[in-house]
Amino acid sequence: MKTDELIELLARGAGPAPRAVVARRLAAPALGGLGLAAMLAAGIGLLPMELLASSGMLVKQAYAAALAAAAGLWLARIVRPAAPEGVQRAAVIAVFAAMLLAGAMLLMAVPDEQRSMVWMGRSWRSCPWLVALLSLPALALLLTALREFEPLQPRRAGLAAGLLAGALGMGGYALHCPEQSPTFVAIWYTAGVLLIAALGAALGPRLLRR
Amino acid sequence: MGDNAESPQAFEAALAALWRRGRDGDEAAYAESLRLLARRLRGWLMRRLGDRPDDVEDLLQETLLALHLQRGTWLAEVPVTAWAHAIVRHKLVDLWRRHGRTDALHDPVEALDELAHAAPADPRPAQRDLHKLMDRLPEKQRRAIALTKLQGLSVAEAAGESGDSEANIKVLVHRGLKRLAELVQAEREQAAQRAATR
Repeated sequence: MKTDELIELLARGAGPAPRAVVARRLAAPALGGLGLAAMLAAGIGLLPMELLASSGMLVKQAYAAALAAAAGLWLARIVRPAAPEGVQRAAVIAVFAAMLLAGAMLLMAVPDEQRSMVWMGRSWRSCPWLVALLSLPALALLLTALREFEPLQPRRAGLAAGLLAGALGMGGYALHCPEQSPTFVAIWYTAGVLLIAALGAALGPRLLRR
Repeated sequence: MGDNAESPQAFEAALAALWRRGRDGDEAAYAESLRLLARRLRGWLMRRLGDRPDDVEDLLQETLLALHLQRGTWLAEVPVTAWAHAIVRHKLVDLWRRHGRTDALHDPVEALDELAHAAPADPRPAQRDLHKLMDRLPEKQRRAIALTKLQGLSVAEAAGESGDSEANIKVLVHRGLKRLAELVQAEREQAAQRAATR
């Protein structure tokens, strides 16, 4: 087939370019991942009602939502060839920074003898691993959806997908986790997110490239 | 076809105007923008595939297919030239990787000046025949593409002919072109393997 013939073929009946391709491709996997994280959290034990409605829960969900939004927007830029993504990447870092700052300030505000309880809580050993575990379905769904784009930067795409999956996993895990301290969340939930982000970055080049 | 005098900025301006019209549904403008891109990218590839001139037209066709399939990823603030460039560069690096060349491209940020050179007038023909590859598509996809793109039927007419819904026709065409791109890639990988074991 001559190249001119191919061009004619591609253009004929092509119609307008598809809109919002990234959002349409990633919305279902993200929601599905969140749902599965919530189900897994319920599986290991849902919190009683008064803790589900606490201010601690609000902080956790706000952090998760902010990170999910920032990571999602960054991922949407990464999969667009030649698109600038500095602003979006900075927003992700800003979300982490804000949470760490809030956690640090809270830690400073409590008397010395309460500090270790505030930042270690009771479940610091298991928390990051459980956050990462609950993020796995989201990561699997997102990486599968991303194959459609064949991103030019597969490692970075995997990393951002991992951050998004981690945010969704955090949101689910919060439904099980009884810890109330934002400092705890800032350290151990973040650690879980970074674990799954590292996994995403490692899998990106393998799964997102032919 | 010599347009050596055109600056990269003028080229981008002309291309972007056509590309936007194509994005909004003007198929003639879309075809013209693909033709402009094809000439530029062919020159770009010829300068880098001096040792494998027979691969130029095939890689160009593969790139055009990718550009079409990824139309939706273009963002208004990105120059179309840069967007298309990122895709062709990715394809070239992939080709090199499969043929054992491990050094990366040394020009990660393409200077726009580079694109001011026009392509030579006489490209070598493609080695691969996409018609033959299209015959290997699943029947429903092949038929949807044949009806809408070879016979020129509208989506509605094609739907009537085949008994599928209009939405389904569009999905079949898209999947068919994606499958075509995958077949092209698979063929290229096999060719690379044969060359390596020779």
